[in-house]
Amino acid sequence: MTVVTEDSPRANGRAERKRRRPAGRGRLTPWLLAGPFALLLLGTVLVPIGYALYLSLFTERLSGLGFDGPHDVFVWLGNYADVLGDTAFRDSVGNVARYALLHIPLMLGGALLLALLLDSATVQLRQLWSLSVFLPYAVPGVIAGLIWAYLFSPGVGPLNDALPWDPLGSDGVLPSIVTMATWQWLGYNMIIFYTALRTVPRDVLEAATVDGAGPLRTALAVKVPMIRPTVFVALVFTVIGSLQLFTEPLVLRSFTSSVTSTWTPSLYVYEAAFVRNDHGRAAAASLLLALACALLSALVMRLSTRRSR
Amino acid sequence: MAHPLGWSRRSLLRASAGAAALTAGGVGGVGLTGCSSSTTASGATRVTLWSWMTGMDSYVAAFHAAQREVHVELSVIAAGLSGGYAQQTNAIKAHNAPDILHVEYQGLIQLLATGGLRDITEETADLADGYSPAAWRAVRPDGRTWAVPMDMAPMAFYYRADLFEEHGIEVPRTWEEFAAVAERVREADPAARLTTFPLNDGSFFAGMSWGAGDPWWRIEGDTWVVNVAGEGTLRTAGFWQDLLDADLVGGGATGTQDWIAALHTGRLWGYLGAAWGVGTLKKSIPDDTGRWAVALMPSWDPARPANGMQGGTAFSVSAESGVPEAALTFLRWLSTDPEVPRIGATFTSPFPAYLPNRDVAREVVADDYFIGDPVYEVLDEADARVPEWTWGPNALGLFSSVADALGRVSSGATTIPDALRGVHRTAVATLRDRGLSVREEGPA
Repeated sequence: MTVVTEDSPRANGRAERKRRRPAGRGRLTPWLLAGPFALLLLGTVLVPIGYALYLSLFTERLSGLGFDGPHDVFVWLGNYADVLGDTAFRDSVGNVARYALLHIPLMLGGALLLALLLDSATVQLRQLWSLSVFLPYAVPGVIAGLIWAYLFSPGVGPLNDALPWDPLGSDGVLPSIVTMATWQWLGYNMIIFYTALRTVPRDVLEAATVDGAGPLRTALAVKVPMIRPTVFVALVFTVIGSLQLFTEPLVLRSFTSSVTSTWTPSLYVYEAAFVRNDHGRAAAASLLLALACALLSALVMRLSTRRSR
Repeated sequence: MAHPLGWSRRSLLRASAGAAALTAGGVGGVGLTGCSSSTTASGATRVTLWSWMTGMDSYVAAFHAAQREVHVELSVIAAGLSGGYAQQTNAIKAHNAPDILHVEYQGLIQLLATGGLRDITEETADLADGYSPAAWRAVRPDGRTWAVPMDMAPMAFYYRADLFEEHGIEVPRTWEEFAAVAERVREADPAARLTTFPLNDGSFFAGMSWGAGDPWWRIEGDTWVVNVAGEGTLRTAGFWQDLLDADLVGGGATGTQDWIAALHTGRLWGYLGAAWGVGTLKKSIPDDTGRWAVALMPSWDPARPANGMQGGTAFSVSAESGVPEAALTFLRWLSTDPEVPRIGATFTSPFPAYLPNRDVAREVVADDYFIGDPVYEVLDEADARVPEWTWGPNALGLFSSVADALGRVSSGATTIPDALRGVHRTAVATLRDRGLSVREEGPA
């Protein structure tokens, strides 16, 4: 994970060695090395985005009864205006915002706590423990969603009576979805944090101990600040993931009427493209979603550099 | 290197494909028509077919055994709204649609609005008399034929005949009696309800409104007349709202594990379903043999009994197909050959749209699960009672709108009639936005 090793001394050493390499080994090398990435970026990201941009400027119009098929009409930014003016879209943004406010602190906080415990503990079963926490990530989202849905179902699922909220009720689906996602992503992020914690130089920790810092103080004042860049990267991915929330609500839809067909922005896009055949509106909504993701990630990254300065 | 962006596009795609495959009963698998030549090595005409119909591979195999001129290449796609319609619509848009498309009566018009279906009025004119009138009407929305009917799905009332008898409850003939029966069921067992009204199922509500005899769409000349909140629909809506308010029926989904468990353990004594409910019950609760019976749906006016449909399959030939004759050869066989219901009876309970085939099905399908009136007689009568109805070019999207609007009913945020008035406004606006000629018939 470059994410983790970026600030470690080894990575710096490698960069220095590279700079010392004699020039003129062939100007082709950088192109050859960057080629596969550039091609994939072009083919799987840039071209689709360009096509989405193109699609988002058109809408299909029918005439009469519509049996003669549609023709495309250029509508400038009409689709964007439609999406932004659609209460269903605004509600979906509200839903993911509330979801993010619950999920992000809960999941990242939990992952950090578990990683710190794992790092400081002298347990023998460390690998078994981390594997078992990581395991939910290995379960495909749809399968996990179905299992959770059964657990939440009244009559057959044990959780329906045990939980303090009605897991499939109109107020309860949000905490239910937060539960599902937190279960799935907690172990994954814990592993990332734990790996970062392992790279904290042991002499620093020893110095902290010599200075009289207890395990709690060491964790909060030494370890956490040292892995802050990793935490922020995880935060960026979690923010993006929250905005793109899709699988859990999609699966729950067939179990409850409380999850609408446009419950999250991603579902809104899915519904527009694949149920209503409104590709222009779907493209506009997905570009708006991508833009929101980009802006939020930039904001979080900026926050992280300012903080660590 | 594992990229931590694992949650984004990749899992999104995987999730949608996975969900689609799951709902298709695990027979998922995305097919693509090859742009190969139109004949096979042995000289047969090659016809491509996309379908999510259970057992289609058996039918195709039997077709190949029966003749050598046409070779059908089947690609199993995800069921209807789980991805099948999206895939077919996109294929039409991309000009690589298969020769034969899988449609349901409810989705036919929306698919028709892609401009991708072939007018088969002349080629199929001779078949008109063989089909159930409701099926033939359903594939001829504007007087032209756009699909070959396969099966029918008139709605019927499935009930626990053993419990009804034990408590001396008569099968309700009108909705008024239905409400009274709902009360008696709760008296007999406070934990039990007569049925559930699935608030997350737009096609169910459409079927119920259909039975009330107030079509949501009509074609008048070159104009769509839209009336989603007409008198019959609002009467249906108000009726179910009252039952929900009085806690006489549940509002939960059908088809879930919980629903199946409730049917089996006697927490639900009835099920308002379609003809395919026969297969659903037989497969979901096989241990309940000898407990269930089928009756006609209750009606609003005993003098003019009626019930709607929920689903029903048909097949269309794509407009760009290079081999429409061969495609129709297969569809004609699929829809009318007596061999088809015989094969179907080995794994399901087919209810063919072609009446001679229905007689075949009646004889070959084992009638050992249900008690009471013979299943096929009840369904035949239900089929005959299906009133006029036209689906609109936004029907599939409207199912989502209905489910979304009704989703707010269980929390008390709205009522079913109010929700339907909102859906009506959305439906009219959507069609106008798409440039269609629309006349609105105001909510009652």
